[in-house]
Amino acid sequence: MNILTNIAPVKITLTILTVMMLSLSSVADAQVLVSSGSFHSVMPEVKGEPVEVDSFYLDKTAVTNKQYSKFLQDHENWQPGNVPSIFAYKGYLKSWENTNSDEVVNPDQPVTNVSWYAANAYCQSVGGRLPTLNEWEYSAQLMDFDSLDEAREFANSLMSWYSTFDNENIGAVGSTGIENRHGVKDQFGLIMEWVEDFKPVIANDLSLDCGTVGRMQKLGNAYSYAASIRYITRMSFSPKSTNSTVGFRCAYDVETIEDQKASL
Amino acid sequence: MKSIKLTFTLIIGLLLTGITSLSYAQTDEYEMDGKTFGMPEAEVFTEDYDGPPVVGDHLSLLPNLEPLDYKGNKTHEVRIDIIAQEIEVADGVKYEAWTFGGTVPGPVLHVREGDRITFTMKNRSDEEVTITEPTKEGSPFMQQVAQNNYMKAEEATMPMPHSMDFHAGTVAKDDKWRTIAPGQSIKFDWVANYAGSYIYHCGTPSVLMHTAMGQHGVVVVSPKEGYDTEYEVDKEYVIVQSEYYLKKGSGDLYQYDYEAAQNRNPSHVVFNGHQTILHDQPLKANAGDRVRFHVSNNGPSGTSSFHVIGGIFDRVWLEGHPFNEMRGMQTVLLGASSSATIDMIVPEEGKYILIDHEFADAEKGATGTLKAGPREK
Repeated sequence: MNILTNIAPVKITLTILTVMMLSLSSVADAQVLVSSGSFHSVMPEVKGEPVEVDSFYLDKTAVTNKQYSKFLQDHENWQPGNVPSIFAYKGYLKSWENTNSDEVVNPDQPVTNVSWYAANAYCQSVGGRLPTLNEWEYSAQLMDFDSLDEAREFANSLMSWYSTFDNENIGAVGSTGIENRHGVKDQFGLIMEWVEDFKPVIANDLSLDCGTVGRMQKLGNAYSYAASIRYITRMSFSPKSTNSTVGFRCAYDVETIEDQKASL
Repeated sequence: MKSIKLTFTLIIGLLLTGITSLSYAQTDEYEMDGKTFGMPEAEVFTEDYDGPPVVGDHLSLLPNLEPLDYKGNKTHEVRIDIIAQEIEVADGVKYEAWTFGGTVPGPVLHVREGDRITFTMKNRSDEEVTITEPTKEGSPFMQQVAQNNYMKAEEATMPMPHSMDFHAGTVAKDDKWRTIAPGQSIKFDWVANYAGSYIYHCGTPSVLMHTAMGQHGVVVVSPKEGYDTEYEVDKEYVIVQSEYYLKKGSGDLYQYDYEAAQNRNPSHVVFNGHQTILHDQPLKANAGDRVRFHVSNNGPSGTSSFHVIGGIFDRVWLEGHPFNEMRGMQTVLLGASSSATIDMIVPEEGKYILIDHEFADAEKGATGTLKAGPREK
């Protein structure tokens, strides 16, 4: 099972390609720098050591229906009906009445019902990529709380959210009021989000059984409990999965953005 | 260039898929002690199916048990889809439940020891499914829900990964009990090797959350030769005890209370999924009847000290297995996912209260009524 070693060269190639194919999309304030650091993962294979994460840029908000609609205009092969079944289940963009940019329904809401393949294609089209699992989780945990009680309360509300997702009334991006210390918004409380390696190799060993949550409870608090629900839910997806609660945002290598800025 | 990138993405995607679909070591079918082991590998696939969520001749709504109208053994084609439903679990208490087939607990499956079950399940949690319109297809369960929608079920969606763990099945969980994403289906065989009443539940972590959200039910496996009695019973009912952990949400609906579930402090402990259903619709019998209860405690975390006020259990088969016979019991202690088949003589006309004699549970709802009419024989 050498999947990791198989993936690594592919990833490097992808990164090179991404840089080579960089489009000159505007670098406004849509992305923020998440500076390097470390965090504690709930993944059982990480033995208490913090996970180091390099600096990267991340979209402040999830990709909206409006943004995705524009992507479809330029990439007809991703329009519903044109997408081969190996890239998405039938529910792909099922809530969309039409794909005309002028008449996008709920333009400021995050796009959902997109497969991992579609999310990848979108991020590549804007010169980015999906954040890695560790990047996403690291950013999500850069929250500042005034007290342990406040953190606990927040974690409890996360658990409620994971069990009572109101997918019929998803708000606009930026509407949750939840923000990390760099200004990345809505990593919780709006939708679930695709990450590049949503199903890490350990997923197979875990086999997602009753003990999994316990094994992930190393930090012994509600926050890690909520995190374990998130990891497990993601791990269960197929890259073709199209859920009404799953969307995405893009990440960018630091060099990519700096090159982009330099060329402007 | 673009097509190269697409190919790379596809390869990574296929690798990600591949991680869960590595081939499973498959044991060929064999017999031991008259039981059948070694089922074919489960199949995970996608299908366009949008029919009734519960299909099969021997599936019913609690407290009913469909009679086994066939001789010997057979293969059952059974479908129980996963759907979200807004349901009422006590007066004025509604929440969006995660369910097997649309109710909590899910449908009761009745088979005979030695029967084979070809089971199909689609994860339709991201799809609105109506369970209350009468349909000729499906199962007795579908008709019974249409006639008696006591949970006031309404369509809802709540996409989550789920799985099925039949305690009545003897298989490798990493194959048959695999978690499937919304939109996926799974199909596998199992043989009901042991007689008794067995729970089924979702085994996807957090199991506490998934079962507390409503994903559990019961399979009744009747013994090949029946129970060793010199009589036939007059009435047969299925009773499931379970807990809810709910708190008021922001709107009218209630929602999962994570802390209460962790601390084993249920908001409701109920029979057959609803706090008052067995009082609103009492079980019926007559004085002098022999009543058989298949009682299962589905938890997720509590015990049940099952008692009937005014009765003594004439015979009790622990876990419902004919070998485990006890006589003259006042109370049967059931751990989480434990069951008993209980025969009781209804002494005289009047009311009998089914109760979890752990009174904290009783006062949270774990009671019901058996209403006995006059003696007919």
